[in-house]
Amino acid sequence: SSMAAVGAMSGMAGQAVQGTVTRHLHEELQKSTEVTVAVAVIRTLTRAIQRSTATTVMGLEKDLHASTEELKRSYPTAISVSAASELFLRFVTRTTALDVSDFEALKQHLIDRGNKFAEISLASKAKIAELGERFLHGGCVVMVLGCSSVILNLLETAASKGKFFTVIVVESKPGTEGLRMYKALERANIQVTMILDAQVAHRLEEVDMVLIGAEAVVESGGIINKVGTYQMTLLAGVKGKPVYVAAESYKFSRLYPLHQRDLSMATEKVEIGSSELVVPLNDYTPPENITLLITDLGVLTPAAVSDQLIQLYQ
Amino acid sequence: QRQKRKSLVPRETQVKSVELFSHLPQFDHKPLEKSFQSLLFSGLHPEVVKLGQAYANLSISGANARCLAMLAIFKLVIEDYNTPPGKVLTRDLTNHINIIIQFLIDCRPLAVTMGNAIRFFKTKIGAIHPSTPDMEAKKFLVDEIDQFIQDKILDASNVIADVASAKIQDGDVVLTYAFSTSVLRTLQAAHERGTRFRVIVIDSRPHFEGKKLVQRLCFMGVSCTYAYITSLAYILPQVTTVFLGAASALANGTVVSRVGTAAVAATANAFNIPVVVCCETYKFSHRVQLDAITHNELGDPDALCEVKNRPDVNDLRNWNDLQNLRLLNLRYDAVQDKYITMIATEVGMIPASSVPVILREYNTGPSLL
Repeated sequence: SSMAAVGAMSGMAGQAVQGTVTRHLHEELQKSTEVTVAVAVIRTLTRAIQRSTATTVMGLEKDLHASTEELKRSYPTAISVSAASELFLRFVTRTTALDVSDFEALKQHLIDRGNKFAEISLASKAKIAELGERFLHGGCVVMVLGCSSVILNLLETAASKGKFFTVIVVESKPGTEGLRMYKALERANIQVTMILDAQVAHRLEEVDMVLIGAEAVVESGGIINKVGTYQMTLLAGVKGKPVYVAAESYKFSRLYPLHQRDLSMATEKVEIGSSELVVPLNDYTPPENITLLITDLGVLTPAAVSDQLIQLYQ
Repeated sequence: QRQKRKSLVPRETQVKSVELFSHLPQFDHKPLEKSFQSLLFSGLHPEVVKLGQAYANLSISGANARCLAMLAIFKLVIEDYNTPPGKVLTRDLTNHINIIIQFLIDCRPLAVTMGNAIRFFKTKIGAIHPSTPDMEAKKFLVDEIDQFIQDKILDASNVIADVASAKIQDGDVVLTYAFSTSVLRTLQAAHERGTRFRVIVIDSRPHFEGKKLVQRLCFMGVSCTYAYITSLAYILPQVTTVFLGAASALANGTVVSRVGTAAVAATANAFNIPVVVCCETYKFSHRVQLDAITHNELGDPDALCEVKNRPDVNDLRNWNDLQNLRLLNLRYDAVQDKYITMIATEVGMIPASSVPVILREYNTGPSLL
């Protein structure tokens, strides 16, 4: 759904004169359906470094900062864009703080790392799959929502290791991403059923665990994810089912929502019959509703997320 | 192990103590009256004695206020200090300061803020090379204190106000308890941003500190409601967010604050209302507390039996003669981490579980935490 946010925004951006950086991000996103927004953002910013005519570290950082600001302006509601931008900026500042003796070498190092990010991202997903598949015991029933590539990868990895388990996919309207997940799991020869959004409580009693992805993991240890996530975790909590979140550490963000309305209102228009609804893309799931987070940094409790962020931003 | 220092102030006969709290220093009525003259002659700076009095009679109270007052006195003492011949500044000044601290403790137990500031100050004294001339050493110490006040108290408070006020939006109803300078600054910042919100101040006996907050807020033009703590459950359904101050934040995520705060936080939690604690990092402590019994401060039991302007309410006036009656006036209570949604500090918004992380990560070099 971060793609949806970016898609919605790029429609708008198309009307106005697009900045170079925004155009590049658009190109990166078109390249492959598999690419995540974060990877596209980092590739775009890496290109911005390549294009930069700055001859000093400060000049380079200034150019980079301007690029990230442009991206944030073009996609004000896509959290993955700002999270990935912040991450890359932080990486650049830390690297430049270390050794600035050879500017050209430094610049090349940043470009190499930026280009490698896609690999790092894939490696994160693989690490998460390795850690996460241990949570699936033989014969277990897992409930999932939407179509998270991280979760899909985790389930495919578990299946490829010969594990037997069943998946219940929630339809996830209005985008019906659940259908994509359903088809992908079928292709992987995993036992899967699809249910209505309204059936979550109805089917929870037969479920062993809930597995969800995240758009962003926030400082409180909660997550921002496709609307419907909060509802599902609330019900799972009431029914005593564990909720596991699978997310890469580059999604960690310093946001701290207190209420649902604290999220920037990324919305989409949905037609129901002859009516048109304005529907939020995301909701906020507080840390109390999350059992554990499976990340490339390891399996963390919600409290550990802030620990990581404080260390990262020290 | 803390050295048990001899009390400088002679103690009166103990009032009847409540057994569960008998391990705490018992409240002493007017500890300074009888010994004022002798204290002045014992060499204590008269400003120090005045400060002790202000602490004892609660005319200076609150974590920030007490710490600022103490640091102001330290600066005065340093300015008037001269190393006696044959002595070394670091050792002699430290002894001098220890006597002052012991006196202040006798007047009223130290606040966590004061303890942390003292530790910082002593580290700075210890860093002075013995060959440093007095004037230079004194200037160094005064500058360090000023820097501490600016960074850890004043600037920190401003950053917290900025950060926490962003959480208040148009149409919000904010509830707060008693009087906290951090919360006041936050509400002021939100008001200055132009946010439309109103405040409900909850208050309690015996000190009615909330009245001070209401006065300040009304003066600023903020809409206020004032209610007593007994009506808390009635009021809470209207509230969007609760903002609370802190005396200190402990390593297990517990927040120590004015007695009554825990009740407000727990009840807000029952109504699913987020609770934000505004707390500067210099209030953080390595201590771990599970309850409000092991560490606390006892206030004046007589305050419980008097009601201002109501001489007719006097059934308890002879409470001391009643064998089976004890009066307990606790000053602080402990808010469990599970009731706290977020702590707003000058280094960021953190969950209560991250207090030990801040203690660990920001504990670089000769520090105060």
